[in-house]
Amino acid sequence: MTARSLDTGAPTGERAAAPSPWKRIWQQDAPGYLFLLPWFIGFFGLTLGPMISSLYLSFNHFDLLTPPRWAGVDNYVRMFTNDPKFAASMRVTMFFVVFSVPLKLAFALGVALLLNRGMKGLTLYRSLFYLPSLLGASVAIAILWRQIFAADGLVNKFLSIFGIIGPSWISNPNYSLWTLIVLSIWQFGSPMIIFLAGLRQIPQDMYEAASLDGASKWRQFWKITLPLLTPVVFFNAIIQTIEAFKSFTPAFIISGGTGNPINSTLFYTLYLYQEAFGFFRMGYASALAWVLLALVALFTAFSFLTSKYWVHYDD
Amino acid sequence: MTDAPMKLTVVGAETPVWRKRLTSVVSHGLLIGASILMLYPLLWMLAASFRPENEIFTSASIIPTSWSLDAYFRGWHGLRTSFSVFFTNSFIVSIFSVIGNVFACSLAAFAFARLEFRGRRMWFALMLMTLMLPYQVTLIPQYVLFRQLGWVDTFLPLIVPKFLAADAFFIFLMVRFFRGIPRELDEAAMMDGAGPWRIYWKIMLPLSTPVLATAAIFTFIWTWDDFFGPLIYLNKMSDYTVMLGLRTFTDSTGMSDYGGLFAMSVLSIVPIFLFFLIFQRLLIEGIATTGMKR
Repeated sequence: MTARSLDTGAPTGERAAAPSPWKRIWQQDAPGYLFLLPWFIGFFGLTLGPMISSLYLSFNHFDLLTPPRWAGVDNYVRMFTNDPKFAASMRVTMFFVVFSVPLKLAFALGVALLLNRGMKGLTLYRSLFYLPSLLGASVAIAILWRQIFAADGLVNKFLSIFGIIGPSWISNPNYSLWTLIVLSIWQFGSPMIIFLAGLRQIPQDMYEAASLDGASKWRQFWKITLPLLTPVVFFNAIIQTIEAFKSFTPAFIISGGTGNPINSTLFYTLYLYQEAFGFFRMGYASALAWVLLALVALFTAFSFLTSKYWVHYDD
Repeated sequence: MTDAPMKLTVVGAETPVWRKRLTSVVSHGLLIGASILMLYPLLWMLAASFRPENEIFTSASIIPTSWSLDAYFRGWHGLRTSFSVFFTNSFIVSIFSVIGNVFACSLAAFAFARLEFRGRRMWFALMLMTLMLPYQVTLIPQYVLFRQLGWVDTFLPLIVPKFLAADAFFIFLMVRFFRGIPRELDEAAMMDGAGPWRIYWKIMLPLSTPVLATAAIFTFIWTWDDFFGPLIYLNKMSDYTVMLGLRTFTDSTGMSDYGGLFAMSVLSIVPIFLFFLIFQRLLIEGIATTGMKR
């Protein structure tokens, strides 16, 4: 009876007396592993195996055509001591993460709070604000962005109404990264939806009690809404930060794959792509990938460790 | 809060009607302003695609003075290979990805949510860890592997991983949904002698259409949008997806034919927009309950 293997949550004490171990494995474990078979092939063949070999490659020189040559820690040493483009790409990515994530979350929370006041037309607004999130990763939007912030683009046309002659935002290294940050903020819709769902979980009677005690709306926000929403803030911050680290397409399209002007949009992922598929320095690119993984892992670990000081969990 | 019936009346605590009206007007004003600001670029691109070429850069308005479909015809044949090829390729890749993802992820999710086997917790934890993994870490060995298999310049590197449930996010999504289905149903079926496969196929899947649809739609959209995968695996123009076609357009004729570029950009987001129009409720609920990234 293979159905035995279904996890019914019932006590399994009445198992038939000692059948052969093979038969038990077949009955107990085989269905689970058979259902997981595609995932197992993917996990070992496309995730774990490649991870190990990419770690190995990161200690090699490898150009794809000739076999890898052992390089020791050369790749890592070069990265941290003798590679201005690595340093530039790290700066660009950090700048992007540090500015785009908090601003995006602030917008998301602000609009969610506004919508949560029981506004009429909530679903319409919610959909409208969500649309950019859904479209934002597309090449089409990156193309549009490049046009909007060009010298003769939409933004400068609006500025010219007020007599301001704007620069070419895209080709000015002082502003080019900001156009990408604005693009990221423009997609605040999906964290907004998660905030809205979180706001709905807050029991209304807490506000009623607080206003009976004479607490102002402002105080209610700081003392009730925000503390109870911290788990959602935490969740959104982690997801958005990891996404920001991985961002690739907009920078690639807007800079034509170069990361210019003067490396000001050279996202880490873009630099990695150039090294791997432009110069075929696959060993070096693998090392870059592992540094990225270390960065994301450090960030996640740090967030979880500090979360107990600021994230409020229900008891 | 304000429209909840007050159980206790506190003297002076009731907000005056005019103030409620004012806050409502101000809030709607803010929201409408924000919506227009956010959607303006999209509407402008749509308008630009219908404008005569010479008008694109002179007008910031979203209503063209004259309508023309020229840019669409020009853009469609703007490259050596026509966009009908790119659209066909994108549809092939996206549809196979949807089939693969829904099938493979639901199998894995069923095992994690309903079956009992040794090591389940460990595998589940490992699966969750892959959610956080930046794809760059597996990128190069995967590329080497697919190259050795002779799969470069085919759609296989884009499709096969989907059949191996490589996008763990959807497993996670489905596990959460499956766990919400009452176990009594499985148990009843088991009494009738149904095995795991029949329970998966006859009970779980039919009861899970909302989550399967959500996974299918998101897989379609993300695959359709995907730029990086096609960029590294597809080199022949006849294999290009729409996103690669657009990128080539920006590199070559795009600089001279903005109308054609915008027209093709608009067409490239039409499928996503249609999904949005038809299934927005499902998409928004999917995000709200699981915290999806986009």
